[in-house]
Formats: sequence, C-alpha cells, structure tokens
Amino acid sequence: MTGPARGGAFQAERLIGRLLTGITYVSVGLLVIGVLLLMATGTSPTSGGPRFDPGRLLPDVLSLRPAGFLWLGLVAVIAAPVSRVTVALLSYVRARDWLMAGVSTAILVVIAIAVGSAVVTTA
Amino acid sequence: MIVGLWMMGGGAAAGVFGSLLGLGGGILIVPLLTLGFGLPLREAVGVSLVSVMMTSSAAAGVYLERHVANLRLGMTLELFTAIGALVGGSIAFLLDERLLSLLFSALLGYVAFTMIRARTRDSIQGVESPAIDAEPDDGPPPRPTLLDRLGGDGYQVRNLGRGVIGALGAGVASALLGIGGGIIKVPLMHLAMGVPLRVATATSNLMIGITAAASAVIYLVHGGIDPYVAGPTGIGVFVGATAGSRLGHRVDLRYLRLLFVVVLGYTAIQMLLRAVQ
Repeated sequence: MTGPARGGAFQAERLIGRLLTGITYVSVGLLVIGVLLLMATGTSPTSGGPRFDPGRLLPDVLSLRPAGFLWLGLVAVIAAPVSRVTVALLSYVRARDWLMAGVSTAILVVIAIAVGSAVVTTA
Repeated sequence: MIVGLWMMGGGAAAGVFGSLLGLGGGILIVPLLTLGFGLPLREAVGVSLVSVMMTSSAAAGVYLERHVANLRLGMTLELFTAIGALVGGSIAFLLDERLLSLLFSALLGYVAFTMIRARTRDSIQGVESPAIDAEPDDGPPPRPTLLDRLGGDGYQVRNLGRGVIGALGAGVASALLGIGGGIIKVPLMHLAMGVPLRVATATSNLMIGITAAASAVIYLVHGGIDPYVAGPTGIGVFVGATAGSRLGHRVDLRYLRLLFVVVLGYTAIQMLLRAVQ
C-alpha cells in the first residue's frame, strides 16, 4: 500500500473506530436509562419484557417506559456493525478500491436478505 | 434489583474474557443466563447475540483506532461468516441439537489441542513474504495480489481459501449455537492464515458484530430477545469489554494463548455434557 493510500486507510479506520465507539456509547446510555427506569418501577428483569414493536418505540420513550429506552438501545446495538460496513463502503468508493467496495456491498446485501427472510417468515 | 445487578456483574465478567480472547462472550453468557437465571435457552441465545455485538463494537472501536485490527481481512472474511450464518439459520431446525453439540465439542477439543502444540513464536513476526523481491529491477513493478492487500505490518496472509471455508463454518456455528464464532475465527486466522494472534483477536472482535447481526435480526423479529434481560446483561458486557480491550495490549501473548486453551477446553466439556445428557 502506498503512503497516501495507507494514510487514507488509517483515517478510515479511525473514523470507523470512532463511529463504533460512539454508537455503542449511545446505545449503552439508552440501556442505562432503561435499566434505571426498570429498577425505579420495581420490575424484575426476569418478569418478561414486551416484544419488539417499532410503532411503540416513540410513545414508550415519551412516556418514560423502560421498554422504549431498552428497545431503542438494542436496535442501536444491532445497527452499529451495519453502520460500520456502510461507512467502510463509502470510504472504499472514495478511495476507488472497487474490490473492497464490492465486498462491503455484498455484506450489506446478505444482511438485507436476513432481514427480509425474517420478516417474510414472521408475516 | 439484585437480579439486575447480578446480571450486570456476570455480563461484565463475560465481556472481559470475550474482549481479551476475541470470543464475544456468547459462550459464557448463554450458560450464565440459563444456569444462573433459569432463562429458556432460546431467550438466552437471543440476549447473547445482542451482547456479543456490544462486545464486538466496544472492543473493535478501540482496536481500529489503534490500528490493531485488520479491517480489510475482517471484512473479506465476515462476508462469508454472514453467508454461513444465513445457511446455518436455514438448517438450524433440521439437525439434532445433541449431534451439533457433539460435533462442536470435538471441534473445540481439536482446536485447543492444536493451539497447545503450536510452535511458540513471536506473533508480530508473522509469516515470511513470498519472493516478490526476486522480480528483476528493470521490469514493471509487481502487481499486488489479493493476499498482499489483505496483509498487515510485518506479516502476510496465506491460505485465503481455508480462511473462507473456515469463515463459512464459523458463520454456520454462530447461527446454530448463538455464539459470535470468534472461538473458530481466532485460531483460523492465527494458525491457518498466519495472522499474529493479537491481530487475529482484534479482527475477530470486528467480525463478530456482522456475524451476529444476521442472527440477531431474526431473533428480534421472532420475539427471541427479552429487553429486560438484555439491558442489564448488555451494560455489564460493555463495561467488561471496554476494560478487556484496554488491557489486551498489556497482556502477555503466552498467557493469552494459555487462557484461550483453557476456555476452549472448558467449553468443549460443557458441549460434550450437553450432548450426552
């Protein structure tokens, strides 16, 4: 790898590293709020939480229900690696590294297939 | 409240080990939740998948900023772990779980045995580069191969084919058993592909997130993740994984390898017991 390309790769890695760290901190913050609310309401963690319902996220958060913050945090956790691949894809396209851009795209396609198959089999 | 604190403590312990060993901690979280808190295995697996993603993101973020993880190699291999996870999810309900446990136990035992026998070497020294320098000086510069581009400082990647097959297997195992697959990927990269152990551990941490993402989405949609359990456990894992990734570069590689073998042996016995009971 040449000097400028190496510098660009290092910069991308630093950016992706910070992105992962940032999303993780946000998700942990949301989970901490959710757990504190859980404890404040005296709810046992083993009592069984509600299923994921995207339509309930905002109302639950606005009503300061633990499930809203917990689900928001968990969705952020799952989104973190996908975001990392998306940022890597943009970095590779910018660097005209078509091989790695293709690999990044293929990873996102596989994840999309997983989401699609889960939704289809549940419906 | 006490239960939540115990979940956090258990998650923290799993996070430290997961980060140091590139395991993701799933192997420890599933028995913690099933044996310690009486959760059904399926729910424990769902929480474990989310937790290993937290381990991956927390540790990989630090490793990437320090340029320890090999992003190119990790992304190349995680394409195949993700495909393997899709395949594994499709056949998960067709195979006898006891047969899977037995096979997995044998695999873990084999890997532990191989790592014990592995020649002690300075990991950062890596593998000798091929004879690129032998090209004539007046000729065109040699075009870098894919393996050249996947290598890092002081080492070159070899046996990509084996790596791809192993990554597919790791993805299948992850989907079937609810683990991040690091327990397969670390020795695969280190022993078969010539990647230094520290880099293999960091790269595995990076890969675990995408490997688990495909399965976690399925669990999320099918109601297999309990937010009340995942919350405290995930927080504990985050704290443990952060501490582990900051300790990782200070830990002697010999101890890291020994620790890895011990965990492999322990998990092999647990899987064997699960198969015969």
